Amino acid sequence: MKAVTGIPVLDEVVEEFPESKTLTYWIDPEVEGNAFAMQTIYTNLERGFKCAYVTVTISPESVISEFEEFGWEVKEFENFEIVDLYSSYVGFPSKCKYNANPINLEEVEVLMKKVLEKFDIVFLPASSIIDVCGEEALRCIKDWCSLAKSIGKRVVLSFVAWPYSKEVKDGIIEISNALVKVGGIHHRVILGYYYGLVKADWKNVKSRAILFKLVRPGGVRAYIPKILVTGPYNAGKSSFVHAISNRAVSVDRLGTTVALDHGHLEYKGFSIDLFGTPGQERFDPILRMLGKEALGVILVVDSTKPETFPRAKQMLESVTHFGLPYVVAANKQDLPNALPPEEIKRRMVLPNDVPVIPISAVKGEGVYKVIDALLDLLIWREGEDELEI
Amino acid sequence: MSLRSELEEVLKELKATGDIEASAIVSRDGLLIAADISSNVNAEAFAAMSATMLGAAETAMSELGKGLPDRVVVESSDGKIVATGAGDRALLVVMTSPKANLGLILLQLGKASKKVEELLG
Ligand SMILES: Nc1nc2c(ncn2[C@@H]2O[C@H](COP(=O)(O)OP(=O)(O)OP(=O)(O)O)[C@@H](O)[C@H]2O)c(=O)[nH]1
Ligand SMILES: [Mg+2]
Repeated sequence: MKAVTGIPVLDEVVEEFPESKTLTYWIDPEVEGNAFAMQTIYTNLERGFKCAYVTVTISPESVISEFEEFGWEVKEFENFEIVDLYSSYVGFPSKCKYNANPINLEEVEVLMKKVLEKFDIVFLPASSIIDVCGEEALRCIKDWCSLAKSIGKRVVLSFVAWPYSKEVKDGIIEISNALVKVGGIHHRVILGYYYGLVKADWKNVKSRAILFKLVRPGGVRAYIPKILVTGPYNAGKSSFVHAISNRAVSVDRLGTTVALDHGHLEYKGFSIDLFGTPGQERFDPILRMLGKEALGVILVVDSTKPETFPRAKQMLESVTHFGLPYVVAANKQDLPNALPPEEIKRRMVLPNDVPVIPISAVKGEGVYKVIDALLDLLIWREGEDELEI
Repeated sequence: MSLRSELEEVLKELKATGDIEASAIVSRDGLLIAADISSNVNAEAFAAMSATMLGAAETAMSELGKGLPDRVVVESSDGKIVATGAGDRALLVVMTSPKANLGLILLQLGKASKKVEELLG
């Protein structure tokens, strides 16, 4: 059987976790990212691989119970072993067969050599090791990855990306054959989490990002984020959803949406579901229903009809509580009497930092800029427009 | 007779079948055309949501590559709602008592929806 990452979608992209490779989970400090490496280890235990899990900052008992919280009964696997660099560090005798004091790097090196020879897949908490042993431990981590490479073993690293020196960060990137970034989606508060493959040198793949939830028990579960497209009657919501989606359906009757528009979009590595609402007031219960659990809102307005702006704002208010991010699509810019975006922002009395994007849904002009603006609010850091470390 | 009163006549006949507590003729885009509903019900919302229900069901069916559904039936212990198309522009929806005989109701509803279709034709 092949070794895999055990992470949904990722395995479809990289297909396997080949021997001699180092797989790194690069985790934003604000995100609970431990589950990724644990899921990789557990999945491969089930597949019969011999796996070792190195711990330095938490006790072996805590490691076991963290696994168990996800429903992963690692104790029942004979092919599982904890490498305990914790107990002697805090001054307890270790109950584990493999243990060393991390203060004594030479002792650890001897131990790790043995571990790498014995096990197929070894997990290293790279940033914790550096926290305990100092940045010179980077050299050891590099050595272990090289050794693994030369004897056909696999290493899983988790690296919590605190502001370490550039040397450390570059060093980790350099030894990683595959890099998976785990980050947060935030807008005032954390709205969700994503992970994305930044590289995998055994596959020629483009970066793509997946939103996930941590489920206990269960682990990392991918989900497709929902973006709500709302706005007044006739503003062009359905037209927008169709203009931007790879495939879309609308429940329109007599020229108006009576239930919803649904579109699916694959864009810049993201998979997104778009839900368009009806615009007419009699369907407002649907608006509230569709608004639930949306990750962001696109408010479509007809730039030629300022008399509809109050309704637009009212619709926005009914879905953006909890600080959901939103962008405004100033539609029908192809018409001669369309108001410019700045004027719309002024008339709607919107905060200055709300993006108002001029578009023409029927001509398909500017529509992707709307998604870009929303991704900017949600995911990208300044200047980014694809997954980077 | 005005169109409106002719449509209301259709609803009245439906009610005579017994077990039908409320009924409405609704445009496909969810506007109330005619109704026989007690005044304490929000008839406009009922009309809009009936159009949503039938519209969504029709789209769901056609997404599966099937033809149009004949009707949408919603059952609860307090009664049933049945919505059925009445031509391209309208639909007919009734609310029944919990113990209503569905077969009988569907039969009557079929006839009534034909009439509505002709009247609005
Ligand atoms: N000129 C112009 N017309 C547009 C544009 N976008 C939409 N329209 C037209 O505006 C009308 C309404 O478009 P829809 O996409 O159905 O609007 P909607 O917001 O979904 O409407 P409801 O669902 O009824 O609230 C249609 O006649 C469209 O052709 C645009 O960018 N330019
Ligand atoms: Mg629409």
